[in-house]
Amino acid sequence: MLSKSETILSLELPYRDRLVLQRTVFGSARGPKVAVTSGIHGDEIEGLYVCHRLARWLEAHPRALKGRVELYPAVNPFGLMTLQRSVPVFESDLNRNFPGHPQGLVPQRMADAIMRYAAGAELAIDIHASNIFLREIPQVRISRPFARKLIPLAKSMNLDVIWTHGAATVLEATLAHSLNAGKIPCLVVEMGVGMRITPVFTEQLVTGILHVWRRLDVIDRETPLPPLTHQAALADDANVHYLNAETSGLFVAALDRLTAVRKGEILGEIVSPFNHKVLSDVRSPVDGLLFTLREYPLVYEGSLMARIMAFSAKGRRR
Amino acid sequence: MNPPLVLSMTTPVGPASEIPYHDIGPRRRKPAVVLVGGIHGNELNGIFALARLAGFLKWVAAGKQPGRKLIRSVRIIPCVNVLGLHTRQRTWPFDKTDINRMFPGYARGETTQRIAAAVFELTKPASLRIDIHSSNLEFEELPQVRLYGSTPAERHSAALLGLPAVIECPVNKISQSTLLYAWKKLAGQNMVLQAGSAGNLQRPHADRLYQALLRLLGKLKILSGESPADSETNSESRYFKLRHTVSLVSEKAGLFVPRAELGGWVEKGVLLGEIYDGFDGHVRSRVRAPVAGLLTGRRVQALLYQGDLLARIQATRPIATGADTYLIGQGQ
Repeated sequence: MLSKSETILSLELPYRDRLVLQRTVFGSARGPKVAVTSGIHGDEIEGLYVCHRLARWLEAHPRALKGRVELYPAVNPFGLMTLQRSVPVFESDLNRNFPGHPQGLVPQRMADAIMRYAAGAELAIDIHASNIFLREIPQVRISRPFARKLIPLAKSMNLDVIWTHGAATVLEATLAHSLNAGKIPCLVVEMGVGMRITPVFTEQLVTGILHVWRRLDVIDRETPLPPLTHQAALADDANVHYLNAETSGLFVAALDRLTAVRKGEILGEIVSPFNHKVLSDVRSPVDGLLFTLREYPLVYEGSLMARIMAFSAKGRRR
Repeated sequence: MNPPLVLSMTTPVGPASEIPYHDIGPRRRKPAVVLVGGIHGNELNGIFALARLAGFLKWVAAGKQPGRKLIRSVRIIPCVNVLGLHTRQRTWPFDKTDINRMFPGYARGETTQRIAAAVFELTKPASLRIDIHSSNLEFEELPQVRLYGSTPAERHSAALLGLPAVIECPVNKISQSTLLYAWKKLAGQNMVLQAGSAGNLQRPHADRLYQALLRLLGKLKILSGESPADSETNSESRYFKLRHTVSLVSEKAGLFVPRAELGGWVEKGVLLGEIYDGFDGHVRSRVRAPVAGLLTGRRVQALLYQGDLLARIQATRPIATGADTYLIGQGQ
């Protein structure tokens, strides 16, 4: 298949070089268009590998494509190249700069370029990989005002959780909010952990994306795909429980994977590195799905250690 | 005596992390004014001005300044982000979150949400609340008052500070999670002061802040008696709406050398700086003032990217461009 690499933004740098934002395009202008973005945070790598796997699938199935696929694997190339979450120099979270501005600072110009080029997409998927602190089960996050439109699409994504959350003001400056507000459906995927890739999650998500693309007629309906393996549980602000550290210390997880847990089950403990003391037991407050677990051991008071989605109505928070 | 604490938190491998504050003056009533500095740990001008002010007011409250009296109480938090100050960082050093994007906070949430909640609670009771900032490492601000959707009372109090510019700013999506925005939902007056740049102390700016705050306390009759500094303070304060703000943005990258001094009135066409090519050193562009006005901000970092802010001028007539909305909140 013929794919082409395109430059969507090129900015001068102080010393000769240029800051270049690139995308890869599969297919022609005919048929529905979809986009996948990743690497908006320079310390999140999971989505880059998803883009590679999608590109590989498209190359291996040259006759399947009926529409147009645009991959934006490295939205924050400067951050990725220098292992920084934000846009280097500007210390600005790129995902708090949308919709951007064509005459603004570098992060605003980058945001503006993505918005202009993603225009007209039937669906955009923005892949995130948590941060260096937390490991996330593959999930879609949806802001409540857009839930009715997005949940049916999210259900085909082969993920474990669909989390509909309240509309936080700061999230209005995200790519997903700006696209959704502009009538371009955008699903935010969170999975894995910062600075790592988790191949088993990658394959799970790639399968889901292909199924959604087939549903949107981006790929031929007759194309055989790997079967869906996951059905998402529905989380919201009422059934998600946050476990924040009661004290500072070293968090040691008792579980090595994200899984179902029972009320009262030990998820980990906060210990002192200076002596034998266990400073705090971390227990699940409900029967539910452990979908976030702390990866980085050092915690301050308030550091998030886990999130659990209650299984039953009894576990809903008031 | 140990100072009261906004918050005390355990730390993973060290002693407790404390955010102390000062309550100075009569305790019978709620504080008349609350002053907050160092939400960004590398903004030293406000921290220095507030520390000195606290020292002076304590001296007055102890009766050691003949002729002066503190009539109502003043609450001062010189530095919120203490760990950031100690590590020269704007944000909370552990997870790099900006505390000024966490308000009104959540007492049972993440660490910076807890800090924000504690600061918000402690600052609520005052009638007048002031949050003091510098710009970032790249830009230097003339000491100025920033108002957001201001009331006549706020404009009146802002003028009493005697700083050279009072600037009306837009409330955008980012600013909705700042301390100022959280305050705006309460009764009372609220404002932000901006002075200098982050990363170091600029003594003239810090001194000007200090004198402005003393002047304000005097004019509001919170502090009685005249300070020697009062007569020296330039009390000429100009009020500018957003449409009087001209942000000069560079369309070229390179190395920038500023040529104009902050705080002066510039004529249209005056040379503000030069952009040099980073590789062969030729002058790529001469930056000139597009309008006449007061130079309230200038770039101090030489490394220049496309889209970077070079200067800000408060024009005497309406003239703003679209990019202003995005750029004026920089550093806060």
